[in-house]
Amino acid sequence: MGRKKKKQMKPWCWYCNRDFDDEKILIQHQKAKHFKCHICHKKLYTGPGLAIHCMQVHKETIDSVPNAIPGRTDIELEIYGMEGIPEKDMQERRRTLEQKSQESQKKKSNMDDSDEDDDDDEAGPSVQQVAAVPPQAGYAAAMVQPGIPPVAGGPGMPPGGYQGMPPMMPGVPPMMHGMPPAMHGMPPGMMPMGGMMPPMMPGMPGIPPGLYESSGMPPHMAPRPGMPHMGPAPTAGAIPSRPTAPVAQPVVTKPLFPSAAQAQQSASGAAALNSHSTAASSEPPKATFPAYTQPSVSSSTSSSSNPSSSTVAKPPATVTSKPATLTTTSATSKLIHPDEDISLEEMKSQLPRYQRLLPRPGQAHAAAPPVAAVGGIMPPQPGIPPQQPGMRHPMHGQYGAPPQGMPSYMPGGIPPYGQGPPMVPPYQGGPPMGMRPPVMSPAGRY
Amino acid sequence: MSLFGATTGFGTGGTGVFGSTTTDSHNPMKDVEVTSPPDDSISCLAFSPPTMPGNFLIGGSWANDVRCWEVQDNGQTVPKAQQMHTGPVLDACWSDDGSKVFTASCDKTAKMWDLNSNQAMQIAQHDGPIKAIHWIKAPNYSCVMTGSWDKTLKFWDTRSPNPMMSLQMPERCYCADVVYPMAVVATAERGLIVYQLENQPSEFRRIDSPLKHQHRCVAIFKDKQNKPTGFALGSIEGRVAIHYINPPNPAKDNFTFKCHRSNGTNTTTPQDIYAVNAISFHPVHGTLATVGSDGRFSFWDKDARTKLKTSEQLDQPITACCFNHNGNIFAYASSYDWSKGHEYYNPQKKNYIFLRNAAEELKPRNKK
Repeated sequence: MGRKKKKQMKPWCWYCNRDFDDEKILIQHQKAKHFKCHICHKKLYTGPGLAIHCMQVHKETIDSVPNAIPGRTDIELEIYGMEGIPEKDMQERRRTLEQKSQESQKKKSNMDDSDEDDDDDEAGPSVQQVAAVPPQAGYAAAMVQPGIPPVAGGPGMPPGGYQGMPPMMPGVPPMMHGMPPAMHGMPPGMMPMGGMMPPMMPGMPGIPPGLYESSGMPPHMAPRPGMPHMGPAPTAGAIPSRPTAPVAQPVVTKPLFPSAAQAQQSASGAAALNSHSTAASSEPPKATFPAYTQPSVSSSTSSSSNPSSSTVAKPPATVTSKPATLTTTSATSKLIHPDEDISLEEMKSQLPRYQRLLPRPGQAHAAAPPVAAVGGIMPPQPGIPPQQPGMRHPMHGQYGAPPQGMPSYMPGGIPPYGQGPPMVPPYQGGPPMGMRPPVMSPAGRY
Repeated sequence: MSLFGATTGFGTGGTGVFGSTTTDSHNPMKDVEVTSPPDDSISCLAFSPPTMPGNFLIGGSWANDVRCWEVQDNGQTVPKAQQMHTGPVLDACWSDDGSKVFTASCDKTAKMWDLNSNQAMQIAQHDGPIKAIHWIKAPNYSCVMTGSWDKTLKFWDTRSPNPMMSLQMPERCYCADVVYPMAVVATAERGLIVYQLENQPSEFRRIDSPLKHQHRCVAIFKDKQNKPTGFALGSIEGRVAIHYINPPNPAKDNFTFKCHRSNGTNTTTPQDIYAVNAISFHPVHGTLATVGSDGRFSFWDKDARTKLKTSEQLDQPITACCFNHNGNIFAYASSYDWSKGHEYYNPQKKNYIFLRNAAEELKPRNKK
């Protein structure tokens, strides 16, 4: 295998047992082969996500994962890349790999010298210490130690690393037996063992994976939150190794990640839903949390995730930061709202045609928008006497007497005339009411 | 619902859709059109309370008027009365006995409209447009609550020109809801304040917004014992947050969901995200309706966390909605909300209010 210990085990697809160089490629493969809707070809992110999509959008149920080998077709098991793979399957895989590598190692042991040296160097002092120790014990130790640092380095969870160990251990003895010739075999041997470690530790209480999930799962959050809600039973049952999956948030708070703590707060499912896809792929789990805390409106996109269906995101989130409430246009989404920090009503009310209607200080403007014949005078109110009844406003004059003036209001004229309660203003010249009628446009009646 | 038949109401109204052969996109859901709709954007809708027999709908608009229709059982709507302000009407509500309607306007005043006498008198004054108005009926007091862009929340005894109480808010009031003894106000800059109304109104808690964009609408929901227990908050970013005041497990119980977005199945085109203009809860089922700038309405079940229905797209944004007191009628208004700015405003375009039978579609989905 490669000289570098990339996560100690090459990513492989649980559904069809194929190997991949890179987890990204693995995920692309899963999306295209196993999580693709046969009806509309939409690519989902997980099995349950696909099931829900088919149910919601096409009203069809599916009960097995497409293109999966028998025994690996469980649609309810939530697997994403290397995450979610049940423990026993992982072990099986490791064993198979070990067997394979044992065979190939025996054949290639000579050639491994150079590799071995390199690996020894990488493993650092720990490996040399191991060499001094009786092979078996040493091997185990070696397994453990080199295993941990990389893990710790990764998600940075040494205790977590330990938790992962126990599952590993059973794997170790078998290895050891086969291995004595194999200190050389260590590098390749390391891979499968180490395979336990990498961020996707199914055995973990889900902290790093939890992180990873929340970060790595953004695209799935969409279908996923839908899932627990739509089918809480199946998903809950189906994700034994990731009990925290739907409840990733609460678990995430525990930990070691100070940023995670913030993340939980801000993790408004929104954020969860979105920015992930970019965050997860480009940054280590730790860094994705800061992404969470940022309001990054781009988070509002996730156009790829079930936009048409109601995606119900779990995380509640009290946002710790208060970002400017401005619109964002990103490549994948656009907010249909004028780009300002005021409300639509405020914006509209600033239009001159609405401004003109505001009462002038001390006067009441009975104004009608230029457009409609708003003189909506109800039959009961003949429009003349009205000033009295109802005029009884406790406040000083800002009563816009509806009946009057409305129809008389000429568009464009912003006559200071307004009638104040005391009425009168010069404009009318004459009994306040009296003058009106002539001016009233007949259209004023409803 | 009904026949659109001979309308007795005055005004032109209702030549409706029913007559035309093609489906206009102004009413793709083929719902009942209310006759004599306002001439400018409709800002608010409210149905009469159960204390009054029959169903009366009031709607306030940017044409400075607030209109009242009677909605008959056969679905016909009869315009009954109208009142004017001197500025656009932004909100309206009923008193608990259904005899008065309170209206709030950009003209910085609020009025009390006595329907029996068809007289309206001013009962409140602010330093800025009043955006929200609600009637509060407490065992030991009754008053009108007004929230304004002048950053104050005032409470008025309608008999006095001075407010009985005035509370300062951090920012301009954008929307509010009241279900005794709880009141929620959402302000500019994503402010969110809960008030308790027992004895006298007081600020209960300021909440960090669960949403990251401007708040646009809020509606309180009740628990099975009919006590207010939380609220739904909508933003301009096509998202609604369901927030409980004292949930057993906030992380699990509170959540947000996306809505009013254009289909992004085709990921090459950017997804359009629309504002949620209003949220209303069904009085019986507890399910909710949201209406957005995209011209659609959707029904949701917040407990099952699923969507119940989304409508076809209307050709204008939907700006307001409400349920009648028994939840049989869902009213929604189609008019321009300024979401695309000034350029898209067409004063010639008609505004509509539609009524839909809501008895079946809002039944909660059974949780699996």
